[in-house]
Amino acid sequence: MVKLIKNRVRMPELSVEARTKTFDEVPLGYSEEQAINEAKRCLQCKDSPCTKNCPVNVNVNAFIKELAEGNFKEAFLKIKQDNAIPAIAGRVCPQENQCEGACTMGKAGDPINIGKLESFLGDWAMENGVREEFVIKENDQKVAIIGSGPTGISCAVDLRKHGYKVTIFEALHKAGGVLQYGIPEFRLPKKVVDKELSYLKEIGVDIRLNNIVGQNISFDELRDEYNAIYIGTGAGAPFFVGIEGEALNGVYSANEFLIRTNLMKAYKFPEYDTLLFVGKRVGVIGAGNVAMDSARSALRNGAEVYIIYRRTKEHSPAREEELRHALEEGINFMELVAPTKILGENGWVTGIELVKMKLGEADKSGRPRPEKIEGSEFVMELDTLVEAIGTMPNRLFLRTVPELKTSSRGIIEADENLRNIEGVYAGGDAISGGATVIQALGEGRKAAKSIHEYLSAR
Amino acid sequence: MKHEILRKEDLNPKDYLMEVKAPMVAEKIQPGQFVVLMTHPKGERIPMSVQKAENGNVTMFIRKLGKTSVALYTYKVGDHFENVIGPMGNAVEIKKYGNVAVCSDLVCGHAENYALCKALSQVDGNHVISMQTFPSKDMMYLEEELRGVSDEYYITIEDGSYGINGHYRDVLEKLMKQGKIDMVFAGGRTGEYELLAELTKAYNVPTMVTLRSIMVDATGMCGSCRVFIDGEMKLACIDGPMFDAHKVNYTELLNRVNMFKKQEAIALENYNKMR
Repeated sequence: MVKLIKNRVRMPELSVEARTKTFDEVPLGYSEEQAINEAKRCLQCKDSPCTKNCPVNVNVNAFIKELAEGNFKEAFLKIKQDNAIPAIAGRVCPQENQCEGACTMGKAGDPINIGKLESFLGDWAMENGVREEFVIKENDQKVAIIGSGPTGISCAVDLRKHGYKVTIFEALHKAGGVLQYGIPEFRLPKKVVDKELSYLKEIGVDIRLNNIVGQNISFDELRDEYNAIYIGTGAGAPFFVGIEGEALNGVYSANEFLIRTNLMKAYKFPEYDTLLFVGKRVGVIGAGNVAMDSARSALRNGAEVYIIYRRTKEHSPAREEELRHALEEGINFMELVAPTKILGENGWVTGIELVKMKLGEADKSGRPRPEKIEGSEFVMELDTLVEAIGTMPNRLFLRTVPELKTSSRGIIEADENLRNIEGVYAGGDAISGGATVIQALGEGRKAAKSIHEYLSAR
Repeated sequence: MKHEILRKEDLNPKDYLMEVKAPMVAEKIQPGQFVVLMTHPKGERIPMSVQKAENGNVTMFIRKLGKTSVALYTYKVGDHFENVIGPMGNAVEIKKYGNVAVCSDLVCGHAENYALCKALSQVDGNHVISMQTFPSKDMMYLEEELRGVSDEYYITIEDGSYGINGHYRDVLEKLMKQGKIDMVFAGGRTGEYELLAELTKAYNVPTMVTLRSIMVDATGMCGSCRVFIDGEMKLACIDGPMFDAHKVNYTELLNRVNMFKKQEAIALENYNKMR
């Protein structure tokens, strides 16, 4: 009889005090011994609910079994069979809704810390120069991938394994998409992203930075030059609430706040040139991961931070760990309030008018619909406001490709094989409007399979 | 990707010209579009107007204003830029407008004045009138080149030290009174646009102005450059940079361009101390 170890091996973390002064990563990572001990807690369930609940069906049992025996390389290779970027996915997946949410151990105690074991192996492989080894049998067909985010990365890796010549077109001056511009250093160190991307170059993927499809290279040119195209352009355009006062200074979209912080490294000013204004009292509208990232970035700039959310904490779409970290760090979570008006003086934001909300019947998302309590408006003083209420696909790209099938809200359509029109495939946030890194990875892989079928049948 | 500086010249005590190698951009850029510069890997992304794009090279007019543009002035011919990215934004439709005035009163506007006049004058039926305004005679540049790409040219100097005393609006008004203007394009000082818009509206002359709001990625991602056109939020980077002058909310625009003024001053001060 196996003895159940109910509690996880605790993940060492940066102290709360230290966190408010640095953008360094919060979880400090397992040691080899800690990772083995955590892996040994796994019950190796026959029906593998963890794998079934993973968008890319990582063989969790197999990698944890190898890890528990100290076979790090074998464990790493097991993950790599299904997940191109374990060091990243382990850090950003909402494991509590996926593998860990389904973990049998979760019924008796803590679920296995699958995410942290995954990033442990990813980091271990990088540090030890361990690579997935395969022989590429080159062929002459060329595939263009638009966007170097998670879905483009995973599609590129699989297509290279089949021997296609793969070129990724990236609009920004750094590759990685949302991993680079969106997710902060304290959650996903950029050296991890850069390492994973350097692997792409090693296997022969040509990444062309500062290439904006539709601007300096047209979609038609791509169609002429390449045998197939994969669109992984993401959902990089911000929504604004659409209330009075959004033109005021001190009001940011979360995208602007995070691009200045992550891509441009404004928090390292004056070593880096990009500027960022962060006031003393910062409000963040929304309670998803992007809201937590914005709030925690503002906190690290010395601000007192308030999350403004129309539902309650338990309905927050943020990862459990991000929400916990945010609260530990002293972010104030205001529940059941919605913005009605941004107030300003002399062109700068001075506050926000909020209305109290109550929870009503469940809506389409299954969460209770927030409803206004009439007459409950009140004013809160703020000098900075960040709107983190979601993003949509960028219309810059879509405008130049009228031949693509899109829905009314600018979401690119894709059939069950992720095909849009002949030879053109799409996946990731560009077809969902905003989902998870792991779903984007899964779609990149699926598209690579479809593209391979399409090209090998020609 | 590195971009070699091929030419650097002073235009006046504040403004300079730089020609850089950027074949990917030069091949595609059209009048009205702009580029984004990063001078070094830790630099900021700044939007910049383009005067000419020929033979794989891009020529820009730059004012020594903030840290980046001041530091860039120390670069020499043969040095390299980190990035010249673009083209960004939308091109102006080059078609027959009739009597078309192209006006400018600041460095970025002067660069675009040339690009636009050159393209517009190649369309049959266009009578291209170029107008420039400078604060004083010693600040003047580009007169000869603009005369070469326009059918009519006016220079106004605000302190009366040369040419016509005043602002290009004064010339524009005279010509509009005579019914000699069908279309106006203007670029330059944001603070002058509202007066221009009032004037051309009174004469019912369609007017497009280039909006210079603060940008980061300039690809529609950050929303920093949001402007309000007839009450509707637009992004100057991907919906502009030119907009109908009669529909812009100038109060908000003028306010937003000052958002980082304090930090900009600190950045420049730091840079000057380090030098």
